[in-house]
Amino acid sequence: MNDIRDEKIRRFSNYRIIEHWVLLITFIILVLTGLSQKFYYLAVSQWFILRIGGIDSLRYVHHYTALVFLSLVTVHVIVAVSGIVFKKWRPSMVITGKDFTDAADNIKYYIGMKDHPAACDRYNYKQKFEYWVVLMGAIVMIASGLVLWFPVFATQFLPGEIIPVAKVLHSNEALLIFLIIAIWHIYNAIFSPEVFPLDTSIFTGYISRERMISEHPLELERMEGTDTGERGADIGVDGIEAKS
Amino acid sequence: MTGFMKNKLILFCICLVSLFLCRDGHVDAKKAVISDETVICLQCHSKQGVVFRFHNGETLSVYVNTDEYRMSVHNFLGCPDCHRGFSVDKHPKRRFRSRKQYKLQASLICRRCHKNDEIASKPIHASLLAEEKKGRSPVCADCHGAHSVMPVTGGKIFISEKKYCMGCHEYELDLTFKNGEHLLLKTDASALARSVHNKLGCSDCHYGFSSEDHPERKFRSMRDYSIASSDTCKRCHFDKYTKTEEGVHCAELNKGNINAPVCTDCHGSHAITRIRDKRTLIVKRCRNCHREIYEIYSKSVHGSALLIDANQDVPVCIDCHKAHDIGNPLTLVYREQIPEMCANCHANRLVMDKYGLSTDVVKSYLSDFHGITLGFYKKQRRMLDKPGRQIAVCTDCHGTHNIVSTRGVDIKELKAKLVKRCRKCHENVTGNFPDAWLSHYEPGIRKAPLVFLVNLFYKIFIPLMIAGLVLQIVLHIWRYIINR
Ligand code: HEM
Ligand code: HEM
Repeated sequence: MNDIRDEKIRRFSNYRIIEHWVLLITFIILVLTGLSQKFYYLAVSQWFILRIGGIDSLRYVHHYTALVFLSLVTVHVIVAVSGIVFKKWRPSMVITGKDFTDAADNIKYYIGMKDHPAACDRYNYKQKFEYWVVLMGAIVMIASGLVLWFPVFATQFLPGEIIPVAKVLHSNEALLIFLIIAIWHIYNAIFSPEVFPLDTSIFTGYISRERMISEHPLELERMEGTDTGERGADIGVDGIEAKS
Repeated sequence: MTGFMKNKLILFCICLVSLFLCRDGHVDAKKAVISDETVICLQCHSKQGVVFRFHNGETLSVYVNTDEYRMSVHNFLGCPDCHRGFSVDKHPKRRFRSRKQYKLQASLICRRCHKNDEIASKPIHASLLAEEKKGRSPVCADCHGAHSVMPVTGGKIFISEKKYCMGCHEYELDLTFKNGEHLLLKTDASALARSVHNKLGCSDCHYGFSSEDHPERKFRSMRDYSIASSDTCKRCHFDKYTKTEEGVHCAELNKGNINAPVCTDCHGSHAITRIRDKRTLIVKRCRNCHREIYEIYSKSVHGSALLIDANQDVPVCIDCHKAHDIGNPLTLVYREQIPEMCANCHANRLVMDKYGLSTDVVKSYLSDFHGITLGFYKKQRRMLDKPGRQIAVCTDCHGTHNIVSTRGVDIKELKAKLVKRCRKCHENVTGNFPDAWLSHYEPGIRKAPLVFLVNLFYKIFIPLMIAGLVLQIVLHIWRYIINR
């Protein structure tokens, strides 16, 4: 039993590790500098904004962090699309019908109507949900953020009302992703009993065999079934093994 | 007991005794025996209503108040002692051109006993005698009264200082300045009585002047005199004085612009009244110098309501600019206070309801981009000493002195004007741009429907989503606990 806990399987490439770090840092900065503007009337926000050096400095930080965030998302999309098209990666993040049945099965398992949880592939439905929340959210945030940043430019093509629309989109979407990440992702990556005190996979790049068996059995099966033990050797840049 | 205390006690005793002596004096005066002759005169002259008619039509009552006469210092004199030529059996008929002429003649009676070198020992008399040499004769009775001349003991000869001063200053005295300008020293006693300062004596303001002293002062010009006189106000109104020192008018004056207004230019001098509730007057005061702005203001919603309908709710100059500590309105600090100034009325339901205006205008500004930013700029200035930049406030769209109502104005025309205002900061914006601002409206299904719907969607979606996720987390933990 000990050995499956100790045995590490490569899950994420260095690119993914760095990408997650950049995402984590920019996201936290954007949330702090963004939500303190949304809730400008709270004492903490005012304290924070004055700490940063005033509203102009705060916006400066928000805008230039947003640029990093924008580059990260752009690169991510280009890499993901070209990876799938040219390198024939498995589109492991694409939501399929199985994700819905998995979700239903899992809920049944929780309330005692089934005796095992759903057997998942590389990414389970929770992770896919999170990924798409962040990706779609990022696109909304970037689009609306750019409108807010360059209102004069935006109104050259679009009606003036686009500015307040962008504002409510940006503002509400920010709150939504923040809550989803703060509640759902942080629970799954830190507080969930299976991983507590911290799921280190995205930071070290490795996951234990034990967790692979329980959480990603289908992926493990495919990996073990096809290769001769040298796992991880054919892991693509996405950490997704190339379809061979 | 120390020597000092002993001295004090002696002094006190002396005072006490002299007080008694004085009182006795009074009692004596009352008891003074009036000569038979005088009693006969008073038979007629103690009746009210008998008048003497002068040539020019003026009249003088010949009534003598017997009580006052008994108390006067001259109670030992009989009527003929002063009124020479009159006696029990002689009552000559005399003619005088005017009351004034009569009074001047009467003064000569006093001078029969009170010789010039005797009275000249008092500076006030000395200056009056000097006037006399120039041809302006003083009338003794104007200050001292005629039949009621009181004893000097106790210090007060006059019923009031005002009466004393008005003795001369009700006439057309005239002051000549070095530059040849003239100032009429005639003071309107009735205006004085109606003024807020009617309880004050003359010397309360004109300090240095009294029944004893009448210093001669020289001013270069009337303006110099006004500026110097204004100094007297600060002796009581020190708070206003210090405020004024922070103001632009005082700064102008200090720079050497003697036309900058001082207290009396706005408040007047002898006829000062409370103008707080006569708001039209305030505006008129400022117009004296700021005529062009007055013209613009008088055509604005605020100005026309004030000047045409005498509406007292609208702002006048000092509501925004203040009265004494008037600041430079072009500074950032001033700009930052503008929304508050407008809010004073426009966020006050009591006032706005009268005119069917919404009080939400202030809130909608303060919770939008410009308003929030402004709020932080103000805090930054206070707490970080780091002023912000220029940002749009109420007046940037609505104007200042020229504010007009937007009711019934063609929307297209309004927008076209608004674009110009936006362009002051946002260069080259197109006609679409002003719509970015919802014109103080709350987004609704009719106004800005898209904004309203997006907001509504998230209002429903966020709680649903979070509730679902939390539920899954709870179920997950529950399953884990059961499995253990
Ligand atoms: C996950 C990413 C982001 C979050 C959580 C976020 C959050 C926020 C929030 C909460 C606000 C305040 C809205 C309000 O006042 O109600 C805001 C304002 C703003 N954000 Fe973002 N934002 C993000 C990304 C971006 C991006 C990518 C851009 C630009 C490309 C951007 C540009 C702006 C601009 C221009 C504003 C308007 C205020 C300002 O000038 O700073 N934001 N953001
Ligand atoms: C303390 C903070 C965080 C920790 C400990 C953490 C941890 C992790 C871990 C362990 C994974 C890999 C899960 C797997 O095995 O597949 C992951 C994935 C991911 N993280 Fe984070 N993360 C954090 C913050 C964030 C933030 C702020 C975001 C940004 C919005 C974010 C977005 C993602 C996304 C999109 C994925 C891929 C989808 C998934 O695997 O769920 N993470 N994170």
